[in-house]
Amino acid sequence: MRMIGHIARAAGIAVLAVGLAGAALAEPKTNLLSQWDNGSDAAAIAKLGEMFNAAGGKWEATSIAGHTANTLAKLRADVVAGNPPPAVQLKGPEIAEWNATGMTLSLDEIAKQENWDTLVAPELLAVMKPKGAWVAVPMNIHRINWMWASKKALDKAGISDMPKTWADFNADAEKLKAAGIIPIAHGSADWTDATTFETVVYGMNLDLFRKAFVEGDVAAMRSPEMVAAFEQFRKMINWMDPGMAGRAWDAAANMMLTGQAGFYFMGDWSIGTFNAAGFKEGVDYLCSRAPADNGKPGFILNSDSVVFFQQKDPDYLAGSKLLAHLIMSTDFQTIFNQAKGSIPARLDVDLSKGFNPCQKQSQKDLAESIKAGTLVRSFAHNMTILQKYRGAAMEVITEFVNTPGMSAADAAKQMADAVEAQQ
Amino acid sequence: MAEALRYDPLGPSGTWHRQRARLLVYGLLTLFALYYLLPLVVVILNSFRDLPDISRAGLIGLPSSFSLSYWPIAWSKFCVGGTCAGIAPFFFNSVAMAVPATIISTAIGAVNGYVLSKWRFPGSELLFGFMTLGVFMPGQMVLLPWAVVLGWLKLTNTTAGLVLIHCVQGLSFTTLFCRNYYVNIPDDLIKAARIDGAGFWRIFRKIVLPLSPPILIVTVIWQFTNIWNEFLFAVIFSSGTHQPITAALIALSAGGTSVHQYNVESAAVLIAAAPPLLIYLFGGRYFLRGLTQGALK
Amino acid sequence: MIAAPAARRLSAILPQLVLAPSLVATFIYVFVFCGWTIFISLSDSSLLPDYSFAGFHHYAELWANRRWNIAYTNLFVFGTLYVVGATAIGLALAILIDQRIRAEALWRTIYLYPLAVSFVVTGTVWRWILSPATGIESIVHHLGWMGFRFDWIVQRDFAIYTVVITGIWQASGFVMALFLAGLRSVDQDLVKAAQIDGAGMARIYRKIILPGIGPIFIAVLVVLLQFAIKTFDLVYALTGGGPGVSTTVPAIYVYDLMFQRGQMAEGAAAAIMILAALSLVLVPYTVWVNWHRRHGEAHG
Repeated sequence: MRMIGHIARAAGIAVLAVGLAGAALAEPKTNLLSQWDNGSDAAAIAKLGEMFNAAGGKWEATSIAGHTANTLAKLRADVVAGNPPPAVQLKGPEIAEWNATGMTLSLDEIAKQENWDTLVAPELLAVMKPKGAWVAVPMNIHRINWMWASKKALDKAGISDMPKTWADFNADAEKLKAAGIIPIAHGSADWTDATTFETVVYGMNLDLFRKAFVEGDVAAMRSPEMVAAFEQFRKMINWMDPGMAGRAWDAAANMMLTGQAGFYFMGDWSIGTFNAAGFKEGVDYLCSRAPADNGKPGFILNSDSVVFFQQKDPDYLAGSKLLAHLIMSTDFQTIFNQAKGSIPARLDVDLSKGFNPCQKQSQKDLAESIKAGTLVRSFAHNMTILQKYRGAAMEVITEFVNTPGMSAADAAKQMADAVEAQQ
Repeated sequence: MAEALRYDPLGPSGTWHRQRARLLVYGLLTLFALYYLLPLVVVILNSFRDLPDISRAGLIGLPSSFSLSYWPIAWSKFCVGGTCAGIAPFFFNSVAMAVPATIISTAIGAVNGYVLSKWRFPGSELLFGFMTLGVFMPGQMVLLPWAVVLGWLKLTNTTAGLVLIHCVQGLSFTTLFCRNYYVNIPDDLIKAARIDGAGFWRIFRKIVLPLSPPILIVTVIWQFTNIWNEFLFAVIFSSGTHQPITAALIALSAGGTSVHQYNVESAAVLIAAAPPLLIYLFGGRYFLRGLTQGALK
Repeated sequence: MIAAPAARRLSAILPQLVLAPSLVATFIYVFVFCGWTIFISLSDSSLLPDYSFAGFHHYAELWANRRWNIAYTNLFVFGTLYVVGATAIGLALAILIDQRIRAEALWRTIYLYPLAVSFVVTGTVWRWILSPATGIESIVHHLGWMGFRFDWIVQRDFAIYTVVITGIWQASGFVMALFLAGLRSVDQDLVKAAQIDGAGMARIYRKIILPGIGPIFIAVLVVLLQFAIKTFDLVYALTGGGPGVSTTVPAIYVYDLMFQRGQMAEGAAAAIMILAALSLVLVPYTVWVNWHRRHGEAHG
């Protein structure tokens, strides 16, 4: 019921906003192209559709499951056919790339009216306005550097506190192993392997993370610090079970939740899985920021966002404005993120009601990381370097995970070489 | 197994040696059948199990729960993309795409095959070889060129656009099948009809078509199955409420960062796979007969 | 009556006219689309097509790329085993079914159904079955045999063989249908004559039936080879190209580069390489078919 209240309120504001924008005569229409195909994602997007329709719009969505390549292929096909979709889920450097084609729609007018510059987390601004104009709207902030743990498994192994540093972590993993528990639950795929690895790199050496994964500096990838990170990663790989290749990430989460495995590294979207399966924070699982050796607060950020393309049809233009407005609304950011496990991209949303304790922690850590200057964007989730560099580096990371004999030094060298070959 | 043997006409009267050979034949067939049926059985079982059961006993475990409720959910409530109306609308989109595309491509293939086998002209063999080249084009390669063409024709994101793509891509198959079948119709039949004054279309209608059912069935089964299951073009050249069923099909395999409802997805997958499966179930015999009668030659 | 000559001329070229639209469509589909792709492979297209000439350097980059090397090595390993395996199993099934068995239609349907279901689905289910944590290995462990290992899908050196197993599963039923059609069209009088002469079944198959369906072998080989070269959905759903990148095949590589990574030109170059591989299969086949036809006509 509360949901309907939210929607109705959002609708009222939206009608007002559209009226102000002088597009009251047009019937706002949109067609959102996204990867949110099923499960909680699809349900969350369906909510956005309800809000859009309630605001007098005509909602349509095109969702493409599976590989991101499918969504991007669809976008390319539509653009090549001279018929770009009005709204697309795009992120990170892709926003800048598509912005550079000159086909994206500037949202500056509505951004100014609604003061987006002051509302959105500063780290996101450069991504959403690659050339100074707003072309993308952030829906959420995901935290990547989470470490989850099974309460049952930790109790059994006699671990009372979540480890704070990698040395602590390694000691605890040995304890779990001695207790007959798989120390780390993992499902190996390029993005999950990269997710865990970037968490390791970030926790060991912030500068290295910035140089290698944000700037794409090849020398940093080849450095002894990177070799050290791969060495720590190898230890962790040895604590994973052999069934990890091709295991779905949610199946891996389940291993941790049932106490079969101790720790689990994954972004906060796993909260959605935990909730859906009926597991409780503090009872079944614990969350804490992944280990870090520098003792400072830390946050690896990932954000889903929507980019708008220029349209000839005024109905779609009106629809884009309405959709951008709705996505930025407090109501949508609340509903969407409660379902997804992430936190709102707006910093002014109150999380005291309906959010999980881990999400509240996330919001607090975000603010502290911004203050401490340690906030970074995620490399594994395509928020930093171009896809071709990211893809080349991720190939090496996932090869490292699946090749027991590959040395840390080889991995660092191969990663540097592979990225260099793309330059 | 034992039953099959008991009813075997050759069994009781045969020698011990022959019985042993029979046993071997059925044994091998059963072994292969297990290999073939395993995935289907897994999906069928999962479509009736509740989620705790699946997560406890694993995806291919034996069921300890049973419910019929996941099928109706899959059909009319499952969330695909931004709408939660089940896979029913997608199912009908696929019908609206696959049925016309199958009929048109088969009809054109039949006429082409007829020309290339019974109305040969200088160079027609070469043209036939050229037309079969289309069979071999990799889908990833032709994706963007198709986008350009659909853009020109103003058919982007329409069912008509998908029908066009499947017709052109299917032409090579249907022409190949039909031409190879019609080659075996005696030329004398055609000659006699021409002497009687029958024209191009009349001969096609009165002589060729009545002989065609076996090959048309092969072509229809082949085309329908391929078009129904085709995934890349279906997903990329459709949009919003016009997406075909493959959009729902890939939900099962999707990695992504969302939660899987394996039971509902299994039911969805089975519904999505039902039309081609039924066609094979009921048309399999004709498929084989058509192949036997010359599609291969 | 004035129109008569025109009408006659029209009816004389009617067959060509009827064929023309298909020819034009196929011409565009095959040659123009190929030409377009070649052109893109010589440009510097990245995010979107860019039509300025940039030379052949993307081909050089392609062959220097480790993953592309893995992809085409996989294609050789997979292609060979897949073609041989599917042919052997398909032929074996066809011969078994041809033994006047009971409920023939049922057996046939069982073997043929994989062809009717999308790989996106069956690949996923096979992944569950082959994965040591959820599949056969875990079931055998539950039954008590803890030492049992069947974890190819997670071993980077063996994962490609799981792709072979699944590929054969899907295609061998179709191969069976082709062979069965061939076996049924073998002249039964010849077989009977040989039986009267006292030849055993094995000998009859070897000497009479199998040579009689020679052209079907060729057709099967060509069909399977082009399936192998175009393999995409199977790997995508079964292993996603992993563990690591160990099961990447050329079609996956093309798709990844062209659409995921925005390296359209290099992806196009890889697509042209797939086409080149296809023509390695097709050109000899076409030559053979033509030779066979001329040979056949000369004698028949």
